[in-house]
Amino acid sequence: MNNRLRVLRAERAWSQQDLAERLEVSRQSVNAIETGRYDPSLPLAFRIADLFGMTIEDIFQNPSKETPQ
Amino acid sequence: MAATPAARRYLKRFAPTMIAYFIALFGANWAMETWHPTGATLVALAILPALPIVGVIAVIGLYILEENDEYQRAQAVQGMLIGLGFMLALASVWGFLEEAGAVPHVKAYWAFVTWCAGWGIAQCVLKLRERGAGGAA
Repeated sequence: MNNRLRVLRAERAWSQQDLAERLEVSRQSVNAIETGRYDPSLPLAFRIADLFGMTIEDIFQNPSKETPQ
Repeated sequence: MAATPAARRYLKRFAPTMIAYFIALFGANWAMETWHPTGATLVALAILPALPIVGVIAVIGLYILEENDEYQRAQAVQGMLIGLGFMLALASVWGFLEEAGAVPHVKAYWAFVTWCAGWGIAQCVLKLRERGAGGAA
């Protein structure tokens, strides 16, 4: 699933490890989510959204509304 | 397996269970060769090395239950399922070959060893794929 996690993290000058510690997950998890290889569960998606003070839709692109490449 | 708290607990439980396995294995073999027991004693000694193996399976199950990092849990479960598929495929092929007399009989406890090998290979492939995607530790 496409998302803005890398951009939001970069805006705050956080490393993947910084974000992982804030979310209490492994750095590999952050990398997998950022690169779209893993879609987080709803509870984790809410935790990510809460951390950035945004809604889930602000961070994750709805797959059914993605424009074909 | 990343060094999550659940993974560290898994390793702390796994090591003594495997030590118990080797002690039980060599102890039971030694006792059977020395005393040539029969009946219930023989059954008890024969089962003894299997108990730590059952313990290892429980330790693996506990890891899955306790792993709070959902991505790591998903990776582990994926590896286990690939290992399971590998073990079932190999057992099915081997069974028919054995029936045809093309290969010798293999004891049932090799099923767990085969599953572990399949899981291990799958974990390596999944790790390499992760590194390829820029997720190396």
